[in-house]
Amino acid sequence: MEFHHVERRFGDNVVLKDIDFAIEAGKFYTLLGPSGSGKTTILRLIAGFNSPTSGEIDFDGKRINDVPANRRQVNTVFQDYALFPHMNVAENVAFGLQIKGVGKQETAKRVKEALHLVQLDGYGEREITEMSGGQRQRVAIARALVNRPKLLLLDEALSALDHKLRVEMQTELRQLQRQLGITFIFVTHDQEEALAMSDQIMIINDGTIQQSGTPVDIYDEPLNHFVADFIGESNIVPGIMKADYLVTIDGQDFECVDAGMRPNERVEVVIRPEDLDITTVEKGQLAVTVDTQLFRGVDYQITAHDQRNHEWKINSIHKTTVGATVGLAFDPEDIHVMRYNESEEDFDARLDSYEEDE
Amino acid sequence: MRQKAFFAVPYALWIILFVVAPLVLIFYQSFFNIDGQFTLGNYANYLTSSVYLKMTVDSVWYAFLITLVTLVISYPTAYVLNRLPNKQFWLLLVILPTWINLLLKTYAFIGLFSQAGTINQFLRFVGLGSHQLLFTDASFMFVAAYIEIPFMVLPIFNSLAEINPSLINASKDLGANDWQTFTKVIWPLSLPGVKAGIQAVFIPSLSLFMITRLIGGNRVITLGTAIEEHFLTTQNWGMGSTIGVILILAMFIVMAVTGDRRKKKGGVRR
Amino acid sequence: MSKKHFSWGKVYLALVFIILYAPIVYLVVFSFSAGKTMEKYHGFSFQHYADLFADSRMITIVINTMIVALLASLIATIVGTMGALLIKGSHRKWRNALLSLNNVLMVSPDVIIGASFLIFFTMLGVRLGFASVLLSHIAFCIPIVVLMVLPKLNELSPTLVDAAYDLGASRWQSLSRVVLPAIAPGIFAGYFMALTYSLDDFAVTFFVTGNGFSTLSVEIYSRARQGINLEINALSTLMFIVSLLLVIGYYFISKHAGRRNRIVTVKEGDAQ
Repeated sequence: MEFHHVERRFGDNVVLKDIDFAIEAGKFYTLLGPSGSGKTTILRLIAGFNSPTSGEIDFDGKRINDVPANRRQVNTVFQDYALFPHMNVAENVAFGLQIKGVGKQETAKRVKEALHLVQLDGYGEREITEMSGGQRQRVAIARALVNRPKLLLLDEALSALDHKLRVEMQTELRQLQRQLGITFIFVTHDQEEALAMSDQIMIINDGTIQQSGTPVDIYDEPLNHFVADFIGESNIVPGIMKADYLVTIDGQDFECVDAGMRPNERVEVVIRPEDLDITTVEKGQLAVTVDTQLFRGVDYQITAHDQRNHEWKINSIHKTTVGATVGLAFDPEDIHVMRYNESEEDFDARLDSYEEDE
Repeated sequence: MRQKAFFAVPYALWIILFVVAPLVLIFYQSFFNIDGQFTLGNYANYLTSSVYLKMTVDSVWYAFLITLVTLVISYPTAYVLNRLPNKQFWLLLVILPTWINLLLKTYAFIGLFSQAGTINQFLRFVGLGSHQLLFTDASFMFVAAYIEIPFMVLPIFNSLAEINPSLINASKDLGANDWQTFTKVIWPLSLPGVKAGIQAVFIPSLSLFMITRLIGGNRVITLGTAIEEHFLTTQNWGMGSTIGVILILAMFIVMAVTGDRRKKKGGVRR
Repeated sequence: MSKKHFSWGKVYLALVFIILYAPIVYLVVFSFSAGKTMEKYHGFSFQHYADLFADSRMITIVINTMIVALLASLIATIVGTMGALLIKGSHRKWRNALLSLNNVLMVSPDVIIGASFLIFFTMLGVRLGFASVLLSHIAFCIPIVVLMVLPKLNELSPTLVDAAYDLGASRWQSLSRVVLPAIAPGIFAGYFMALTYSLDDFAVTFFVTGNGFSTLSVEIYSRARQGINLEINALSTLMFIVSLLLVIGYYFISKHAGRRNRIVTVKEGDAQ
């Protein structure tokens, strides 16, 4: 599946601009973005419910722009499941096979297998109304998988479930995908979900792909302010890149691991809250005053401010005192420098250039 | 508690006086002959008279045809309507004619269908010559269907509008083409609306008497016409009530047939 | 998915609309014809309107019809609203029985209602005329009001009444200040529906009206049996305009009701 310069407009409203990506078979992809970012539109283009205004969508090397949804080897798990209320569980799952004219025995066999796959053995004769939210979710997955699609699309598929069930389903979906080897494309606005499940994440905002990569890449090396802010929690402060491996924040120099920028270029510096350690003022690189402290079970969420009134978020397993002045310690590797308006290609090229030097 | 009783009295009075009592009375009356003597003769008469039996069969047959014609016209109307932008406005336009007095609409057809009327003028114009339109079975059925169309469109429209659009996407996603999506998803899901529409059209069609008189020219005798005649012309209330009881029975049969027997699946709305 | 292209669906719809409106347009057009028949248009004239306003029998009947409709729907609205409150407040097993009884008159054919009411009034010795017509109209309007009010009562969040009690309202205050205002759109809609049912009724009135009293529908029926009379066309044009105004009023109310509902339902959703 490949997108080439795909654009989609609704009237004057440009929902997607110049979307360009390729999807490899057998991987778990996630389209992650806030609501209204265009991620669902991409999904609808893949499923065939919409066609692009311009650009080309290829599948197995063939252009499929105008192939309708019912003739694509793609199946969808809908956000509201879209289970047919006038059919029972087995009838729902069998729907796609009946449409294709698969024989009765074969259909029955495959429905049974599919229900087994989603751990709903023996639920075939139940009505949809008798199923709980989590069970409906499984029926929806079985109904899509029974058709043996090359690509399974999941549209915010877990968002209607409660937290505990959602975490369970994340694990199950991931296992299912590995087991079957089918490409999954999962759409979500939940970054934790995306980080937990995906091989590859594409971050979408304002109708463009902001960054794509593995969860670790994206978390550790966000490309821009939006990505850094959207994925996880971050402290983002302005800085100046004095030279390779040396960045200044508020007139204070810090060693870092980034390079390849112009001398004295204005940049943004990202430090993750969990990378900040609280220590004494003398031992720390920065002195801050603690404003609030919240106990969250695993750790304390602390907010503090420095002399120049930059706010700092710190996640610490150690308790501190509100109003106290403490030091913040961090390593050069904890600092991540972002250039303004750098494209994904330039970013990758720059990383390659100095990582090879090492 | 006192407040509850205060509410209960007028409404309970209404139920006793105007719902229960009249039904009991019509049943009671059906056992009296024209001279006020108790008898089973009315029922015996009804069951043995070929006139009454034929009339009942005719009446049911006409009601069936009217319902069928109305359904065939209304389903596509509701379907197309449901896909329009501003569909509520267009629906209102379909319902608007029901707010106009029934008699006036029927009266209009007397003019349209008359020997020198507009339809015949049009037929002559296209070279088909003029025909007797008024006082025919066809005109009777056409006017009856005309009057019932909005009552059929409304429930079907509502049940179509209730169908979650993602169900249609799901059907296409699973490989169904437009026709398969219609027969396997849209039609079954709109069935409650169709049944409600049939109920709303079939029962009144059994009992129409005004249209049979004005448009059908007494050629068609429905159960309703017969009841009206016995009550207001021949003053044989007993026989009229007997036919009324038959009509009530027919009504229950229709409701049982079109009722939602699969309650379990009824309230699905997701 | 539908685009601005030509489609058979729209052609079909246009045809249906033409059929639906042709008789009405036809009546209106000929009401302005100078001729005496609905066959050929004879040039513009207000003659039939003049005839109509000079026809004192017709004017009396119009006024009678209005009085019956306004009174019947008003009384039916009051009783029907009480009925809806009763049904809502009653025990589960009673509720279904009450609802079924309520719906008997909704599903019964008009002739049955008319004939059974005729027997009823005759047995009670009620003289056929204004009283019997008014009582019948009230009777068949009540279930309509109940059916319009009940959904609004069901939509009402139960916490709304609890909140009223919590804030110190008495039973009567919670009803008059919280419940009734919240279901007011349903009550108005019920009143409008009752009004149109009453204005539109022919069959029931035909049975229970005596010799001295007549409503519009019955009068049109007897005149139509005698043939075409363009005075009826003039009358129908006026009635069409009144209906149109009623529809606009009803539309406005139900739109308003829709907005109010949403607030109530949203609250309900939040509570879950």
